[in-house]
Amino acid sequence: MPDASRAAAWDGPRRGFRIREPAVGYLFVAPAVGLLVAVLVYPALTTLRLSFSVPGGLGARHYIQLLSDPLFWQVVRQTAVFVVASVGAHLLLGLGAALAVAGPIPARGLFRVVALLPWVVPDVVAGIVWKWILNPLYGVLNDLLLAAGLIAQPLEWLTRPGLAPLSVILANVWRGFPFVMVILLAGLQAIPQDLYEAASLDGAGPWARFRFVTLPGLRKVLVVALALDTIWEVRRFGLVQAMTGGGPGTLTEVLSTQVFKQYFHFYRFEYASAMAVAMTVLLLAVSLPYVRMIMQEE
Amino acid sequence: MTRTGGRVVAASFVAALVVVLAPAIRAGEAVTLRFSNWHLVETVWGRSLREAIRIFESRNPGIRIVPEPISYAEKEARYQAECAARRMPDVVKLHNFSLAMFFELGCAADLTPFVQKESPDFLKSWYEFPIKSLTYRGRLMAMPGDYMSMVLIYNRELFRAAGLDPNRPPRTWEEFREYGRRLTRDTDGDGRVDQWGFSMPASKNPGLPLRVLPIVWSFGADFLTPDGRRSAMNTPEFREAFRFIVELATVDRVVPPGVTTFGPQDVRIQMAHRRIAMKIGSGWTYPIVNAINPQLNAMEVLEAAPMPAGRRRVTAAWLSGWIMSPHTAHPEAAWRFIKFLTSKETEKKFFEDNRVISSRKDVNVLPMVKMDKFSRVIVQELQHARLEPQIKEWPEIFDAFTTALQEAMTGAKPWERALLDGHTRVEGILARR
Amino acid sequence: MRLRLGTVLATGALVLLSVYVLFPFGWMLVTALKTEQEALRIPSTWWPHQPTVDAFVVMWTRKNYGLYFLNSTVISLSTAVLSSAVGALAAYGFSRFPLRGGSFLMGFILTTQMLPGVLLVGPYFRVLTALGLYDTRTGLVIAFLTICLPFATWMMKGFIDGVPRELDEAARVDGCGWLGIFTRVVLPLSLPGLVATTLFAFLLAWGDLLWVSTLTHSESMVTVTLAIARTVQEFYVNWPELMAGALIGGLPSIALYLALQRWFVQGLTAGAVKG
Repeated sequence: MPDASRAAAWDGPRRGFRIREPAVGYLFVAPAVGLLVAVLVYPALTTLRLSFSVPGGLGARHYIQLLSDPLFWQVVRQTAVFVVASVGAHLLLGLGAALAVAGPIPARGLFRVVALLPWVVPDVVAGIVWKWILNPLYGVLNDLLLAAGLIAQPLEWLTRPGLAPLSVILANVWRGFPFVMVILLAGLQAIPQDLYEAASLDGAGPWARFRFVTLPGLRKVLVVALALDTIWEVRRFGLVQAMTGGGPGTLTEVLSTQVFKQYFHFYRFEYASAMAVAMTVLLLAVSLPYVRMIMQEE
Repeated sequence: MTRTGGRVVAASFVAALVVVLAPAIRAGEAVTLRFSNWHLVETVWGRSLREAIRIFESRNPGIRIVPEPISYAEKEARYQAECAARRMPDVVKLHNFSLAMFFELGCAADLTPFVQKESPDFLKSWYEFPIKSLTYRGRLMAMPGDYMSMVLIYNRELFRAAGLDPNRPPRTWEEFREYGRRLTRDTDGDGRVDQWGFSMPASKNPGLPLRVLPIVWSFGADFLTPDGRRSAMNTPEFREAFRFIVELATVDRVVPPGVTTFGPQDVRIQMAHRRIAMKIGSGWTYPIVNAINPQLNAMEVLEAAPMPAGRRRVTAAWLSGWIMSPHTAHPEAAWRFIKFLTSKETEKKFFEDNRVISSRKDVNVLPMVKMDKFSRVIVQELQHARLEPQIKEWPEIFDAFTTALQEAMTGAKPWERALLDGHTRVEGILARR
Repeated sequence: MRLRLGTVLATGALVLLSVYVLFPFGWMLVTALKTEQEALRIPSTWWPHQPTVDAFVVMWTRKNYGLYFLNSTVISLSTAVLSSAVGALAAYGFSRFPLRGGSFLMGFILTTQMLPGVLLVGPYFRVLTALGLYDTRTGLVIAFLTICLPFATWMMKGFIDGVPRELDEAARVDGCGWLGIFTRVVLPLSLPGLVATTLFAFLLAWGDLLWVSTLTHSESMVTVTLAIARTVQEFYVNWPELMAGALIGGLPSIALYLALQRWFVQGLTAGAVKG
């Protein structure tokens, strides 16, 4: 294919080529949708029904209780901070690392492996490891910082009220950014090299090349990576549970730890279900823009 | 052929199949019981239980026991899910923290009919209190397992090193606090405290009530009003007890930093490695601490003493129960196994192997129990021991309390404010009843 | 000159990032090589005074890690392959056909990721038991599909959208059917994405704890992650052993990454050589 037409295909509209056989399309989509319907509809309906069941019938009592509980709103706020901070940092570190290891730097093969490592650790194990590093008695981070003269007293990373949420986010950023990095790295492969060459010929500097070639080329995968990461971080459970269990008090409690606690520790199945439904609705609201972006035609 | 005729044919076919296959089933397959217990994953306890299973199987050739190890933290969640799917293991062990919940959810078989088939004196071998505690709406829902009082465990060598008499443990809470201060030290002279007087598992974990209740109760306080309808966390006695616990961390600083993240095992590790001098524990403490660090020489160095007394002389009881799945296909075999697990012989073995005290009176009068320096104290203190409130909301109520405790201990809120918020929350929980 | 400055800055940033990334692993290794006594020293020793591999040996001999690795590998690989394949098909459908309700269906697929796993445990338990799949690897694979399939569909939609449609057209002119276009044009060109998707689907399944611990009960179904997590919840938690387990538990995934890596950096290398 001649270069010119390929470049045109890249940034040009694709409207000229549209398939008129949707029926075939449904066949491709059917296995996935069918499978998900089969495995998820029953549990989802069970949850929904449970959330509305009160002694002797149906009612919204659990939702009323939920929405009037200040703890719920506190946990929603904390979840929002946790998710925004985590996803934001994942994006910054992931994009930076992907661009850096895609460039001509020494030992980039090594860096690529190193940067994936945290994701290989299951999140609950990551929580345990960070808890060990931050341990108030035997933890190495305090000892290092003390030795370096950066702090005068050992810090109580997981128990000082202002510090505990930050510590959890620190560990979660560590655990999560490789996903964004690898996805973007794979996305970078799909950007034709000649676009960069063409841009360079037009006199574009590194920033302009990033802004007008890299970023548009990554747009779709970036949306996907952020959508999935956002949902995962809202659901993040093992890491938080292992590090703090929601403490001190309720300061690092997030929605997923609350749902777990209500369900498995307090046996309030209906209330936990209502909380889960509320959580899903919130997530839906957050992810609608992502859905719109991914389905958009250029 | 009529429809009835078809049914007859089908029925006779099934009947023929059963006749042909039945002997094969009987000869080839013994009754299989699924047995789940958190002790199975522990080194000492696990070995002891597996030996007991072998003894049972050799005496009951028709019954095979399949052990299903599970961790302490997982068990309620898993049994709960399994019970909902009518797939609970045939026999499981739970402790009183969640037993009431399982009774209420219908996840335990009624053992009364089985007991009634035994001799009239069958239950007389047990203490009355555990039997009464495991009786729910007049039915016996679990057979009592181990039954212990919480006591003060201390390290006599660290007492001596701090200039305290190792034969005179603290008897009042004021004394306890004073001992704590003297036992909190920098032992290697590098300017950093590396030994603390006392430690407790103040994270949110099912082990905390056992360590908190003795203190609260002995200050003359309680969580609920006597009728169980309201929170009593605003009484002067409760405030005093709460403040005492909080200030161990914030004012006296006799507990290690990060206490609100500790689980029971963290505290045992601290004891095993001489980081702390006192903790609250019971019969299980010594073998576990000993396994963590044999060099401590726990049998010699550790001592058990009654809990310090306040207005009341009281402590908390640990009680476990063996429950049978309400959906078991082999209730008779399961009952035989439970009977074996709670027999004098097996309970004696569990004591020898694991130092847990039995809920059977006839075991605790054995010389081997009465001569043991830990068990003696634990059995003797049983007379002052009480159980946590046996209501469905208890885990949630205690969670609200723990939130308050952590907030106060870490300085997130002043202690009065934290306690008041906790009290309000508990009132809300009770109002739902 | 400016280019070289950029390289230096990028390398410096990567070195800093590597310190953040590697520090926990370094501490895991140092702890794993200590005796328990030494691991609990205050202040901590930064290098083992008496290095020992006991923790690794104990981890391996006290428990049946061979079996756990087998379980984890079989379950995670099946999940990864299945979900990537079905997900790629669906993504192709979404990307190339004007489906009525396409946005709704993509939204639905994403929504399935949103229900907290805790709530799914009970119903799954009942469903799997009814199907006779409780406590089986197949049952777990089905459960994991609910996480990995939506993930794979979304990922592949992102990547397949990046394959120019004109190539479809060209292949069609050459006589390819829809399936041919998918296998001969779209899939090869989105291979980096497919490989990355498979890798992460594998890791998602590998790292699960909730479902393994609730949808199986027998010792023969234990996975690596469950075994490591149980070490903490048991009564004899031993930090060196735990760290040894966490390190060993990551090795298969790292091996998989190394094996797959060349597929999604291949294009880059070619481009670099050309440029």
